[in-house]
Amino acid sequence: MQGRKPADRRVRVERPHSPYFRYTGPGQLVAKAAAHTPKTAVGRTWARIRKVAIGRPLASEEEAGERLSKKKALAIFSSDAISSSAYATQEIIRVLAVAGATALAFSVGVSVAIAVLLAVVATSYRQVCRAYPGGGGAYAVAKENLSPFLGLVAAAALLIDYVMTVAVSTASAIAQIVSVVPDLNGVKIEIAIIVIVLMTIANLRGLRESGNIFAIPTYAFLGLALLMVGLGLVNIVTGAAHPISTPNADPLAGGELSIFLLLKAFAGGSVALTGVEAIANGVPAFKPPEAKNAANTMTAMAILLGVLFIGITVIAHAYQILPTVGDIPTTVSLVAGTTFGSGSLLFVLFQAATTLILFLAANTSFNAFPRLGAILAVDGYMPRQFSYRGDRLAYSWGIIVLSTVAAFLIWLFRGNVTALIPLYSVGVFVCFTLSQIGMVKHWRSDHGPGWQWRLAINAFGAVLTAVVLVVVVSVKFVDGAYLVVILIPSLVAMMLFIHRQYDASRRELQVRNDLVFRPPHREERAVVPIPGVNRAVIQAVNVARSVADDVRAVFITEDPEDGAAIRERWERQVPGVPLVVVESPYRALTGPLEAYLDVLDSAWPPDKPAPITFVVLPEYVARSWWERILYNQSVKRLRSSLLGRPHTVVVNVPYRREDPTMFERAHPGSGDEPSDGHPAGAEGPA
Amino acid sequence: MPSELQVAPSFRRAVVALSGHPNGQRLVRLVAELAKSHKAELIGVHIVEIDWSMPLDMDVAGRSEEIQQILDMAEGTAETAGVKLESVLLQARDVGAALVDETVEREADLLVVGLAYRTKFGGDFAMGRTIPYVLKNAPCAVWVVREPIQEETS
Repeated sequence: MQGRKPADRRVRVERPHSPYFRYTGPGQLVAKAAAHTPKTAVGRTWARIRKVAIGRPLASEEEAGERLSKKKALAIFSSDAISSSAYATQEIIRVLAVAGATALAFSVGVSVAIAVLLAVVATSYRQVCRAYPGGGGAYAVAKENLSPFLGLVAAAALLIDYVMTVAVSTASAIAQIVSVVPDLNGVKIEIAIIVIVLMTIANLRGLRESGNIFAIPTYAFLGLALLMVGLGLVNIVTGAAHPISTPNADPLAGGELSIFLLLKAFAGGSVALTGVEAIANGVPAFKPPEAKNAANTMTAMAILLGVLFIGITVIAHAYQILPTVGDIPTTVSLVAGTTFGSGSLLFVLFQAATTLILFLAANTSFNAFPRLGAILAVDGYMPRQFSYRGDRLAYSWGIIVLSTVAAFLIWLFRGNVTALIPLYSVGVFVCFTLSQIGMVKHWRSDHGPGWQWRLAINAFGAVLTAVVLVVVVSVKFVDGAYLVVILIPSLVAMMLFIHRQYDASRRELQVRNDLVFRPPHREERAVVPIPGVNRAVIQAVNVARSVADDVRAVFITEDPEDGAAIRERWERQVPGVPLVVVESPYRALTGPLEAYLDVLDSAWPPDKPAPITFVVLPEYVARSWWERILYNQSVKRLRSSLLGRPHTVVVNVPYRREDPTMFERAHPGSGDEPSDGHPAGAEGPA
Repeated sequence: MPSELQVAPSFRRAVVALSGHPNGQRLVRLVAELAKSHKAELIGVHIVEIDWSMPLDMDVAGRSEEIQQILDMAEGTAETAGVKLESVLLQARDVGAALVDETVEREADLLVVGLAYRTKFGGDFAMGRTIPYVLKNAPCAVWVVREPIQEETS
C-alpha cells in the first residue's frame, strides 16, 4: 500500500490463524469460538438449534465464581432439606392410617423421634463442615477415610439419591398444584415431565443457583410455613382447632398397631432428612470463614426443618387429617387450607411457594449429580464424557442422564410420591452412615483440638444412622427399597468395571518417563486396493508413494478379463507401481485382500522387524446424505475389516470434487475422461 | 456538571500502536476501558520495520509467533475489557510513517502510542524516531502514554 509520501510504502501481512486461534506463547494456541463452528450444513443447523435452545457457547473463563452469604446459602443449599417437610408428614400419616384413626396419634411422637435423628445428623455434619472445608461429600469422605470401594458405595447411593430428589420433588410439586387445581390430575405425569425437560434445558443453558431469584421461593416458603405453623398452634392452644372431614380420603383400614408399623412410619417420615448433607458438600461456596459459616447455616437449617416438620405434623394431627387417594390433595395443602382458609390468598400463596421450593429442590440435583458424575469420571469410575463440559459450561451428560432417569421414574410410578418414597431414603442413610464412619476414622488419625468429643458425636451419628438404615431397608424392602438394594451394588460393579477398563487401557498406552524416542527404523510399504483407474485412485497412489517406496496396487476381481484389461491400462498410465490382480471366484472383497496382506507378511524376512503396512483407500467424498448411501460402501467394509490388524495403518484418501480443474493442474496431460465406466472416483475399491 | 478536563475526550475509532513492549497490555487495557465507555472501535497495529536491504514484501512477520502473540494478546486484553480490537500486522520501511498512513486510511480520530522509560544510564524516556514523527505528522489526536516509572530496588 502506498503511503502519503512516495517512499512510505507498507505491506499488510495476512494472519490466517487469527479468526480461529490466539497465540498465548511460543507454540501455544488458544482456540476461538470460530474454531468450533461446524463446517457442514447439518452441523451448522444443529449448532443454530442448540444456540436457540441452550444459548451461545461460553468460554471457560466466563464461569462466574461467587461466594455466598449465610442467608443466601441457607436458601440455596437448604431448599432440598426444607422442602421435604412438604411431604414427610404425609408419609407418616399414610403408614399409621393402616392401623386406624387412633394410630394417627403416634404421628407426633414419630415426628419428634425423626427430629431428634435430624439433630444428631446435623450435629455430625457440622463436624464434616469443619473437617472438610474443601467440600465433604460422602464420596470424598468415605473414599479418603475408609476405602475407594466404600467411596463408590457412597457415590452410588448419592447418584440414586439425586435422581430420587428430582423425581420425588417434582412429583410432590405437581401434587401441590393439583391440590389447588384438581382438574389437572389427569395430566400430572405430562406436566411433571415437561417441568423436568424445562429444568434440563435451563441447566444445559448453564443455570446457576447463586442468583437472588433462587432465594425467593425458599424464604417465601419459610415465611408462610412458619406463619401457618404459628397460626395452627395458636388455634390448638385456644381450642379453635377442630377435626375436619378430609376430602378424597383413603378409607381407614382396621389393621393392628405394631412396632413394625411404627418403625415403618418412622422410616417413611425420615425422608425429611434428605438433602441435609448439601451444606457440607458446598462449604467452599460460603464466604470466609467458610467452615464456621457452613456449620452455623447447618444448625439454622436443622432448626427450621425440625420446627416445620413437627409443627405440620402436630397441626395435621389436631385437625385429624387423613391420607388421601393418590395423595391429592396433599397433607400439607390440607394443613394450609384449614389454617389459612381453603381458597384464601394466603393458601394460594403458600401452595405456590411450596411448589416453587420443591422445583428448586429438584433443581439442586441438576447441579450435584453432574458434578459428582464429573468427579467420578475424573477418577476413572464413570465414562469420561461425564467430565466434559458443554457449550454453557454445564456437565451436559450428567444433566441429560439425570433428567432421563428421573422422568422415567415419574412415568413408571405414575407420579405418585408415596410410591417413589421407598426408593428414596435408603441411599440417603447409606451416605449418612458411610460419611459418619469416615469421620470417626478421620478424627482417629487427626488429633486436632477437641477431637475426642468430635469423634464421639460422629460415632453416635454413625451408629444411629446405621440403625435407621437397617430399619428403612427392612420395613420398606417389599415396597421398593429392594430396588435400591439391587441398584447400589450394580452401580458399584459398573463403576469398578469402567475403572478396570480405563486402568487397563492406561497401562497399555503408558510410556516410561525415562525413554527418549528416535525416528522409527522399521520399513514401510503401501498397498492400494483399486477398483479401476480413476482420479481417486491416482490420488491415493500418489499419497502412497509419498509415504513409502514400496507401493503396490491390488485389483480384486471375479472376472479374469477385467484383470487383463486393467493391467494393460495400469502399466501404461501408472508406470512404476506394480499391480497385483487377485481373482476372487467367490466374489469376496475383504477376505482376499486380508489374505494377500497375510502373504506379504509371511514373505517378509523373519530376521527383520515387521514393516508398517499402509493400506491406502481411495475414497469419494459424499456431498449429501444420500450420496453417503450410494458410495464408499466397499471402503467402509475394507476399513472395518483392517482395523486392529497388527503393523497396519489404514489411510483414507478422500477425493473432493470442489475444484474439477485441480486434477488437471496436478497432472498435466491427463485426460478428463472417467475410467472404467464409473464417474470419476464414484465408487471406492472394488 | 463535570468540567471538560474531568472527562476523557471522546473518540470514535482509535489506532493503538503495539510495539511489543511488556507495557503494551496496560496501554491496551486503558484504551479499551475508554473505548467501551465511548462505544468506539479499536485497531491494534504492529509494524515490523524492514531494512532497505530486503524486499518489503519478504515473509518476515507472518512466520514469527512472537509477533503474532503481540497482536493476539492485545486482542485478548481488549476482549476481556469487553471491546473488540481489530488487529493489523504491517511491514514497512519506517514505523512512524506506516502508523500515520494506517491511521489516515482507517479514518481514525485517535492514535495512541506508548512511551517506555529506560532505567539504564540514569533513566530516560525512549522517544526514538517514531513518537516525534507521529506527533508531527498525524492529522488526528495523538495520545502518548508513559509507563509508570519503577522504583529501583538496588
